[in-house]
Amino acid sequence: MNATIDDTNTAPNTAPNTAAKTAHASGSGEIRLVNLSMSFGATKAVNEVNLTIPHGSYCCMIGPSGCGKTTILRMVAGHETPTSGEVFIGDTMVVGQPPVNRGTAMMFQSYALFPHLSILDNVAFYLKMRSVAKDDRRRQARAMLERVQLDHLHDRMPAQLSGGQQQRVALARALITNPKVLLLDEPLSALDEFLRLQMRGELKGLQSELGITFLHVTHTQPEAIALADMVVVMDNGTIEQAGTARDIFDKPRTPYVARFMGAQNVLTGTVDNKSGTTVVLKTASGEALEVPGDRVNASVGEAVSVSIRRDLIAVHRAETGSTGDVNTIEGVVEATEYQGNFVKIGVIVKGVETFVANVSDQAYFAEPVIPGDKVRVSWNIDAVHVLAKVDAGNEGSPYGV
Amino acid sequence: MSERRSFITQLQVAPLTLVLFLFFVVPVALVVIVSFFRYQMLVGLVPDFTFKNYYDLLTNPTTWALYLSTLKFTLMVLVITLVLGFWLSYFLVFHVRNLVVAIGLFLLCTIPFWTSNIIRMISWRPILGREGLVNQGLQEVGLIDKPLDWLLFSDFSVVITYVHLFTLFMMVPIFNSMARIDKALLEAAIDAGATRWGVIWNVVLPLSKTGIALGALFVVTLVMGDFAVVKVMSGGLSGSATSGMFNDLQFLNYPRAAANAVILLIIVMLIATGIFRLIDVRKELVR
Repeated sequence: MNATIDDTNTAPNTAPNTAAKTAHASGSGEIRLVNLSMSFGATKAVNEVNLTIPHGSYCCMIGPSGCGKTTILRMVAGHETPTSGEVFIGDTMVVGQPPVNRGTAMMFQSYALFPHLSILDNVAFYLKMRSVAKDDRRRQARAMLERVQLDHLHDRMPAQLSGGQQQRVALARALITNPKVLLLDEPLSALDEFLRLQMRGELKGLQSELGITFLHVTHTQPEAIALADMVVVMDNGTIEQAGTARDIFDKPRTPYVARFMGAQNVLTGTVDNKSGTTVVLKTASGEALEVPGDRVNASVGEAVSVSIRRDLIAVHRAETGSTGDVNTIEGVVEATEYQGNFVKIGVIVKGVETFVANVSDQAYFAEPVIPGDKVRVSWNIDAVHVLAKVDAGNEGSPYGV
Repeated sequence: MSERRSFITQLQVAPLTLVLFLFFVVPVALVVIVSFFRYQMLVGLVPDFTFKNYYDLLTNPTTWALYLSTLKFTLMVLVITLVLGFWLSYFLVFHVRNLVVAIGLFLLCTIPFWTSNIIRMISWRPILGREGLVNQGLQEVGLIDKPLDWLLFSDFSVVITYVHLFTLFMMVPIFNSMARIDKALLEAAIDAGATRWGVIWNVVLPLSKTGIALGALFVVTLVMGDFAVVKVMSGGLSGSATSGMFNDLQFLNYPRAAANAVILLIIVMLIATGIFRLIDVRKELVR
């Protein structure tokens, strides 16, 4: 109620009858988190997080369950009050403000549609709370349902809809508030694979069409990579890395990110020789790794971790080639998995976790290997990416420690 | 094969059917039959088919007064237990975040049920009586000079006892309905700009309807069928529909008592129908 009055007062350039609709259309949807912390008892769910999400970007937060990503989302939404720190949306500090005044709208994981209301009334709920007349709010809600192609079902109850349809209703219900920021809590996790890919495309299309900020929490790497302008990888309540999808995927900053994004092998060695354009690392098991010299700052004797993308690794039988080559490691094939356009080969290497290579199907079938085969894995020196942090174990490994 | 299966099915439902038949259908049928019998002083029951019992009852102003009094109590108790039951449940479900604490508090509500209805009813007398706790307390504080008479043996004491006895019957079904409400729905409503009252009115209340209907049904049947509370707590000053039957029974006028019972049954069933018209419990339960 207050919000309606405020809006009409502070937005004299908009006609009063459309004030509710355009209340949040102006103003920036930039999200800025400053030293944001959240504790539940003794556990710190979110620990001193600083992050700026630019206006109009699609940001995906990704991390294992319990990493604090959903808590951050809920603090931005106003459903959780931070223990300390600040949340800015645009230029406004929003901590302590009710959700409706923040210009955010949230799409819940389980959609949270009101089961006792038709989908039309679900979508119109926000307008009802703003005391918009019944005919008017139903007309606006139908227009919004039309936008998500559900107008023909407007008198159905949520339980009569499929998962994908329910999600569209949830989307319509969020968008009718005309938000600056749309918050999505694992929106695709309840859908089957086909629908997930379809909705993923639609979300992305919608975001570029509306030009508002999307903050999307997910635990699925391909989803984050495909959707996001900005990916934020989280672990234990802190941000491991925030950057473009390409940066996160191709240039992970830490071993955790390299492993968590699922596309990298991490190797650690000490600097053995630093001469000119290449630096040689010696691994614990004695293999020599060559690394482009301009990427290493460490001096001789210091430990350095590197990552190598799975798809830039070649696998050959041990008989071919010779031992002692640089950037070549011997191992035994543990498992192979045909993925259609590539074959995933797990190789057990002494002193390293399981080493994974994604070999193109042509390359694989030209020289097939089966579990138990002795192989040599090798890679080009340019494929080696130097991590900013030395590996401290199998952090982020999908295989666990 | 199908014959055999239908036989097994019939065998499986037989015990319940038998119990319902023996202890529900037969007694009700007997009451209905007896309500048409004739009553003769010193003799008692005389088989007959007469509407005299009904006629006598419906033309007697005492019957109407008793039914009105019962309906009045029912309505008052319904409103009070509804308010109490709703807010107690609301507190337990949505405010107590710790599930263990919520269950503990819920069990606390059931403690009075560890003693019998009679004892819980009688225990109000030393509290509300002329020399009771309340009167003495108020006198000592100096709020009143002489004891309040309307505390005990009054409509007040009847209603307070009913509320004490029956609030839990209202609360449990509402609690059950509320506990099944997804908490995210409340957040979704707040997200859409609903105030605390907006959330309660637009989300919690509609989704608690089933519980409210069931609770109301419990309270209505309990109050309408009560006889002891009114008699004890009003000190004989008020009566209920059932006390009319009790009087008839004392004079061994079974036919008129039976007719009265049939009337009461019809009224309660009408009220129940009304409640289920308002709220389709079966539809809500399968939701």
